[in-house]
Amino acid sequence: MKDGIANNSTASISQARKAVEQLKMEACMDRIKVSKAAADLMAYCDAHIREDPLIMPVPASENPFREKKFFCTIL
Amino acid sequence: VQRSPLIPEMATQEVQLNETLAHLKTESETLKSKLEEERAKLHDVELHQVAEKVEGLGQFVMKTRRTLKGHGNKVLCMDWCKDKRRIVSSSQDGKVIVWDAFTTNKEHAVTMPCTWVMACAYAPSGCAVACGGLDNKCSVYPLSLDKNENLAAKKKSVAMHTNYLSACSFTNSDMQILTSSGDGTCALWDVESGQLLQSFHGHAADVLCLDLAPSETGNTFVSGGCDKKANVWDMRSGQCIQSFETHESDINSVRYYPSGDAFASGSDDATCRLYDLRADREVAIYSKESIIFGVSSVDFSLSGRLLFGGYNDYTINVWDVLKGTRVSILFGHENRVSTLRVSPDGTAFSTGSWDHTLRVCDDCYFFIGIKYNQNLCTFNFTPCAPDKPPLSLTATHLPKYSNLKKHIYRST
Repeated sequence: MKDGIANNSTASISQARKAVEQLKMEACMDRIKVSKAAADLMAYCDAHIREDPLIMPVPASENPFREKKFFCTIL
Repeated sequence: VQRSPLIPEMATQEVQLNETLAHLKTESETLKSKLEEERAKLHDVELHQVAEKVEGLGQFVMKTRRTLKGHGNKVLCMDWCKDKRRIVSSSQDGKVIVWDAFTTNKEHAVTMPCTWVMACAYAPSGCAVACGGLDNKCSVYPLSLDKNENLAAKKKSVAMHTNYLSACSFTNSDMQILTSSGDGTCALWDVESGQLLQSFHGHAADVLCLDLAPSETGNTFVSGGCDKKANVWDMRSGQCIQSFETHESDINSVRYYPSGDAFASGSDDATCRLYDLRADREVAIYSKESIIFGVSSVDFSLSGRLLFGGYNDYTINVWDVLKGTRVSILFGHENRVSTLRVSPDGTAFSTGSWDHTLRVCDDCYFFIGIKYNQNLCTFNFTPCAPDKPPLSLTATHLPKYSNLKKHIYRST
């Protein structure tokens, strides 16, 4: 009975200690401002958007899922 | 049995343990608040505000190009081969099928010893597939060129969890596999020996998904779970290096932004979110009041500008990652979309559904053309939005044709 109580509490304490250590480690992180992070995300998009086939589609001859011939409708 | 009263010595010890626990919990809460404070200090602007100056994307019309039929029950997972044409899929019917998505032919089929094969992955070499589910294992099947060979005979059991396998992924080679499980852990395994190389503890409930960081950005991966947390892990040390808890329900899918600096998540709370790793916070939410069903699966287009989400209301919503707006909605599946992946070269995306099928889709595009002598001429391939100038402005207007009427066309 005595051991049972001690074991439960020590297990919880061990878990709580780990949580505190984890949080201490996360607190040490070097963070950047959202404005800088956003600018970098945008820059990456901008640099690669012209090669993104779902935004700038390639001609049918290069897209194997499309028909080889070119079909279209006038709007 | 009557519990005997504690003797004074035991009582003191118990009180001391409880005090230590309480003290640690307070310390934990204090650290958490400090963390939030630090994160908030750097929250100087919203992503969509910064993105206001970015050119809009215009309209998208997505179309299904292939439908893969053959599973006898819900499709639960799929993955592309690096050759950009083969797909592996797994189903509640216990089958794992390898398809040639161009021709829709089935190239291989394996029957697993369990139903609900919830995870499958293609090996980087294209020579093997991994899968698992309710069997609590991840097994690797080398793919034989001999169609008559029984794949099950060469099966290799690699991972062993104590609950269902929810996701699996090869690392940069065929030699290692990363798994996530309903047992609340992730693990890294050596395929040849089946040895456990590293385990990752930290989630408080089932882990549902994982994604490896793009190889250039180092040895990390992100996982999402039923504890509403998305955790970023160091693969070598097993340490959780960052944790995000802003979702209001289970996280079903996580996917890295192509630069490796951020990742997206999809959740049962009907939202997708974007987390930036260097700002260490959520930077965007992709949601609409009209969208009330959970997101099962997310993936980015090649440039990271589009985020595709498969939803439990049978639709696929496509989001402008920077502006936070929805640019397209795709119908077609007749039941939940359970899995979604963009192809390795970004030309198409594939979805799997509880309606037993998989679909391969891409988009129609608009372009400016000139009718000259009954023929349609397009000078340079210049896609555009139907009501907006072309996304890429090129000097295509030869003086000779400048007075001819330009029309906007949509490809089929």
